Amino acid sequence: MRVLLVEDNERVAQFIVSGLQDAGHAIDHTADGNDVLSWAARAAYDVIIVDRMLPGQVDGLAIIQALRKSEQRTPILILSALAAVDERIRGLRAGGDDYLTKPFAFEELLARLDALTRRTPGDGRATWLEVGDLRMDLLTRKVTRAQRKIALQPREFKLLEYLMRHADQVVTRTMLLENVWDYHFDPQTNVVDVHVSRLRQKIESDAEPPLLRTVRNAGYTLTASA
Amino acid sequence: MRSSAFTLAIGYVAVGVVALFLFAAPLWYAWRVTIQDSRTEILSADAQRLSDVFRRDGAAGLQKFIDTRVAMQIANERILLLTDAAYHRVAGNLAGWPSAVPATAGTYTVPVEFDGRRTQAVFVHASLPGGYELLVGRNLARFEPLERRFWYGLSAAAGALVLAGALIGALTRRALLTRIHSIRRTASAIVHGDLSHRLPTYDNGEELDTLSRMINGMLDQIEQLVHGIRNVSNSIAHDLRTPLAELRSRLEELSRGRPSGERAVAELDAAVADVDRVIHIFNALLRLAEIDTGMRRAGFLQVDAAEVAAAAVEFYLPAAELKGITLLFRSSGTAVLSGDRLLLAQALGNLIDNALKYAARGIVTVETRQRSDGAVEISVSDHGPGICEAERPRVVERFYRGDRSRGTQGSGLGLSLVEAVAKLHGSALELSDRGPGLRVVLTMALSGAAPTALAESRATTSPEAPACAQASKSPG
Repeated sequence: MRVLLVEDNERVAQFIVSGLQDAGHAIDHTADGNDVLSWAARAAYDVIIVDRMLPGQVDGLAIIQALRKSEQRTPILILSALAAVDERIRGLRAGGDDYLTKPFAFEELLARLDALTRRTPGDGRATWLEVGDLRMDLLTRKVTRAQRKIALQPREFKLLEYLMRHADQVVTRTMLLENVWDYHFDPQTNVVDVHVSRLRQKIESDAEPPLLRTVRNAGYTLTASA
Repeated sequence: MRSSAFTLAIGYVAVGVVALFLFAAPLWYAWRVTIQDSRTEILSADAQRLSDVFRRDGAAGLQKFIDTRVAMQIANERILLLTDAAYHRVAGNLAGWPSAVPATAGTYTVPVEFDGRRTQAVFVHASLPGGYELLVGRNLARFEPLERRFWYGLSAAAGALVLAGALIGALTRRALLTRIHSIRRTASAIVHGDLSHRLPTYDNGEELDTLSRMINGMLDQIEQLVHGIRNVSNSIAHDLRTPLAELRSRLEELSRGRPSGERAVAELDAAVADVDRVIHIFNALLRLAEIDTGMRRAGFLQVDAAEVAAAAVEFYLPAAELKGITLLFRSSGTAVLSGDRLLLAQALGNLIDNALKYAARGIVTVETRQRSDGAVEISVSDHGPGICEAERPRVVERFYRGDRSRGTQGSGLGLSLVEAVAKLHGSALELSDRGPGLRVVLTMALSGAAPTALAESRATTSPEAPACAQASKSPG
């Protein structure tokens, strides 16, 4: 993917730039918030990362609002040291698509960028999801693997749905908390892991090849085994 | 030194003196009008009678009449004098014409030599036919002491008033200054950092006492806050410094030892974990600060506590089962209150998490209930070891970690957050003993306003409450 980063802190910018380049992505970086509109107009970016507090008292939110006014539809991830819930709400209201609080783990950023750029494979229209031989019918809410029926609790269904919609992407625990449970806080427990391992037991019987992989220091990925 | 008490006393004295003189003035006036004027009238009438005698019996007749009158008087008050045209005495008890009385007829009050003494006298001077001059007067010597006594009395009263005023003023000032000095001493001790000082109170309900009580209440509050801050800063110092110290030594060792491959990566991962611990504490503190400002109240919505609790129970259910704990949820229908769904969820999550952590086995029950008065009760009960009574008020303190929680993961901020959320919702956190087990109850009024009975978090007593000493010996 092609990323535009608006961040004035050299150290953080370097961290993101080199990380994304290592992951095989193209990235442009500017420290000046006023450049963003012209940068965004020049090249087609898949996602824009905007820091909230930029030099010269520029609030990243103003940039986002300007971008949205100019009919710019590119997904925007807001990066901010402002962690309060209402700050997050303000960010999303201004037109941001996701909000990540500093300091952050790089894997978290990468997973969220992935989710932002790849979130429309037939969204909304599809009545079923499929990953390998795992199939989820969104209308009848039935889940099968090969011919085996899998009975899921409503929350497990939601968890699996999220994982399937983001198949082949890394999904972090925070993303699961936010999107499956709507918990925008850190419960400081490994409860998410317990939920995932239960789900794993249900969708992977002993004989079947694994689908749900744990990604070290990051989260989980649902992938059809090769 | 200027003092408001003294100024006030001076004012009172001045008013008193003025009142005294206002009282004396009509008295003085009445004296003048009734006594003096009627005296003059009597003298005039007397002079008229003597004139009649003169007209009837001639000068000799009047002379005789006067002599008789002078001889007759006992008090020696009346003064009579008849002179010829040259002002030479013809008859009467005055040696000669007093120089102060003018030649024209009229009434005069003048000093005169009478009876061998100098005295004040009032005269009516009448001219008679044939150049004779008649003086009818009265010696005022008898009234002088009376008048003098009146003025002395007035001055003495005024003096006494001034003296009493000064004395009372000085005493009031001293009493007031003593109190104010004690307030000032206390205040300056506090300014210098000793918050244990309190103003003396006397239980007499007077204004200064009420003020002292209020100031003492304020000082209690301040001391508590400062104590809290001191505790928190000590804890921050400890709880943040420890992982930072570990991190530092880890990085320094890494830099010095330069291990290769696997070990370096493992060390770096451990360093990142150290940083994450610091960030966790940091986030929890910021969250608490955010809640404490009360700003979140602006975003309060109607929330069904039963729904929030059900979701939280469902969230923790797999973790409970993994530990062999039965996590139950009970509710009597919806329990609607005005609040912040996310914060309630987090607070409830912390309570459930604690219950799962400390109640090694058994049943953990989450219950929501809407009382008939609209208040919502959320409770979490376990069959764990409970919290001993002495420890209960302390567990909500920031960074406080009981002996039992040593060695377990946690920042010591979990219950602090629950309490902060409870306060934000106008509620109180109530810890009680179930013997065995702990029961935590949050009671929230529908309006979100603090019901007075719940304004303070409290720990209810129970005879079966575990003893602190016993608790501290139990393994962590």
